[in-house]
Amino acid sequence: MKSCPALAVLSALLLGPGLGRADTAVEGIVTLPRTHAAPVMNQRYEIITEGGILSTNPPLAVVYLEGTFPPAGDPPVQQVAQKDFAFLPALLPVQVGTRVAFPNLDNTYHNIFSYSPAKRFDLGRYRSDERPIPEQQFDTPGLVVLRCDIHEHMRGLILVLDTPHFVVTDAAGHYRLGRLPAGHYTLKAWLTSRTTLERPVDLRDGATLHVDFP
Amino acid sequence: MTPPSEPPPSGFARFRVKLLVAMMLVVSLVTAVVLFFAQRNVSASVQRELERAFEGDLSSLHAAEEIRYAMLAERCRALARRPRIHAALEDGALDLLYPTARDELADVMDPGDQGTDAGPYAFHARFYRFLDGAGRVLSPPDPQMAGRLSPVEEAQLTLPAVPDRLQIGYLLQEPPGGPRVVDEVIAMPIVSTETGEVIAALVLGFKPFEAGGKYSPVGLKSGLWVQGRLLLPALDPAVEAALGRRVGEAMAAARALETSFTVNVGPTPSLLFCRQLNPTSRFPPAFEVCIYPLTEALARERRLSWQFVSAGGLLLLAAFAASHVFSRRLSRPVEKLAVDSAENHAQRQRAEAALELTNQELQRSARFSADASHQLKTPVTVLRAGLEELLAGERLAPDAREEIETLVHQTFRLTSVIEDLLLLSRMDAGRLQIAFERVDLTALLEAFLDDLGALPDGPDLAVETDIPTGLVIAGEKRYTGLILQNLLENARKYNRPGGRIRVTARADDGWCVLTVGNSGHPIPAEAREQIFERFHRGTMGENVPGHGLGLNLARELARLHGGDLRLSRSDEAWTEFEVRFRLALAAAPLA
Repeated sequence: MKSCPALAVLSALLLGPGLGRADTAVEGIVTLPRTHAAPVMNQRYEIITEGGILSTNPPLAVVYLEGTFPPAGDPPVQQVAQKDFAFLPALLPVQVGTRVAFPNLDNTYHNIFSYSPAKRFDLGRYRSDERPIPEQQFDTPGLVVLRCDIHEHMRGLILVLDTPHFVVTDAAGHYRLGRLPAGHYTLKAWLTSRTTLERPVDLRDGATLHVDFP
Repeated sequence: MTPPSEPPPSGFARFRVKLLVAMMLVVSLVTAVVLFFAQRNVSASVQRELERAFEGDLSSLHAAEEIRYAMLAERCRALARRPRIHAALEDGALDLLYPTARDELADVMDPGDQGTDAGPYAFHARFYRFLDGAGRVLSPPDPQMAGRLSPVEEAQLTLPAVPDRLQIGYLLQEPPGGPRVVDEVIAMPIVSTETGEVIAALVLGFKPFEAGGKYSPVGLKSGLWVQGRLLLPALDPAVEAALGRRVGEAMAAARALETSFTVNVGPTPSLLFCRQLNPTSRFPPAFEVCIYPLTEALARERRLSWQFVSAGGLLLLAAFAASHVFSRRLSRPVEKLAVDSAENHAQRQRAEAALELTNQELQRSARFSADASHQLKTPVTVLRAGLEELLAGERLAPDAREEIETLVHQTFRLTSVIEDLLLLSRMDAGRLQIAFERVDLTALLEAFLDDLGALPDGPDLAVETDIPTGLVIAGEKRYTGLILQNLLENARKYNRPGGRIRVTARADDGWCVLTVGNSGHPIPAEAREQIFERFHRGTMGENVPGHGLGLNLARELARLHGGDLRLSRSDEAWTEFEVRFRLALAAAPLA
């Protein structure tokens, strides 16, 4: 896989600017696990565990393109708020090196921490008037489980990905990844902490590839 | 009343002593029985009170323990829910487990070293460890961090599997050179909030609950029996070891979760209560051992016993005094009775002696009359024979012959008197008895009336009869005849010349009433009873033959017959005797 990304980067550098107008994309449907939950209201998702496997409920998937991509500067600061004693969004995919802010939107203390190998941190207790808003930078790819030391039921997931190309499906599983470089990559769909599906993809300039999972 | 000079009979003193002894015996018996039951009652109630006190102490101890357990369990549960500990276990950060726990358990852990004592309700843990999902101990990177335990002690915390419920165990620590210590161990399962499975366990060691003497008003001492060793710091080590062996044996024998028995703790008899503290735990069994010294209870019981005995003694003394008084009072009427009885006895003896004397005299006089009669009969017979021989002689002058005939006649009279006397004497001596038989009174009367008519020298008398036929009476014919003969003879003898004799008989309600009347001279009123006495003769003069025994004899005989003879009428015109006989029953022969 080492040589192949190099080739892709090269082609992206060479071909990218010239083909700016034609969007190279992947789209499709990730078949999400069936759920018995009620229809989603207000985009509230929660993290559930079944048999030690973390996922969102209702199910969502993160589709991302894995490969070697040229660094594109500092990714923008993302945000995971604590609102109504839940993390919002419950599942946040970020690129490696992304800083994530954790504003407290509840009228009480929260204490966000993570013991996950991908990122260990402890923000301590703070309230909504805490300034600056505590941030963390996520430099290691992997799944980070967010917990609150005060509210033991609160869970959040940050999926740190070593790629700038990722998207969260909608509730039906539809996704579209656009502005992709052409080349040979692996398209992955993260479903749960244990399940990540993958497909090799050949992206051609200006073409939209249709990939369904599974 | 008894004259004071006369002492009570000796038997009476014996009676009084016996009464006193009997009363004392009864009193003693009653006192003994009452004391026995009271003693038993009191003893039982002392025992009950003791048990209640013991149970009360024990239950307050257990209540305190339970509260403590509940609080410890709650603390452990709260600790086991800490998100950081969960995060360390669930998010694969075991290296952060003990550092995290040190922070999280900082307020639980004993702040000082093992020395500080926060009292019996101390909730401070002395150590803690985590068990992994298989029940093995996760050793802390730095033993100081989680309370020092030797590897051996740490190994004792290992469970065969991670527990799904709270477990209580006891960990015996024997640091070299230091005192033995037992820690109460609570293993709290850590349930994953993600999977709902038990992923680990938190084991906390606490200083065990102590119910020392100062917390127990009645000297209840409690300790622990762990791994065959007894830890009861209040006891001497040797006593402790011996008692530990004893408890081990008892528990092995009892095979129960709890048992109690009496045991000598050193010199002190004590009630020992033993209970398994962790019956369902996966840790090795540990027992709570409570010792309740019976010294005070026994002393109290002894004191009570003495009180009872002395009270009983006093009671007995009082009762004896009372019984003495009572026996005296009770025996007083008896004493009087006894004295009276003695007097009565003497009187009766005197009366009996007099009676005996009288009887003897009577017998003697009766025998005398009988003897006299016998002695007289013979010479009279000889006399008569001689006189009749003289009369038979040819040479008697007519004057002399008349004289001799008179004499002969007198001998007959004499014989008659003698015979009557003989009969009377037999009756007096009670030797005459009527051999009852059926006597045909009608026939007997007719025979006598015939004889009466045939008498040559009788006055010219008219005889009237009114006798029903077939009158049968109970009597002896010979003596019945004597009665009739006497009456008829009297009626003839004392009659006027040319007078009447009337004989009537009738049956009257089981009796036969016979009357013999004559028209003789009346009997004076003052002599009417005397005529029945012996040798009494009427005033009618000596010319009438008779000797004054007839009526007496007739009456005595009539009475022997069960009847009677009386004078029923005597006036100028008529004198009448009435005799009653019993009628013989129709068919039955008479006894």
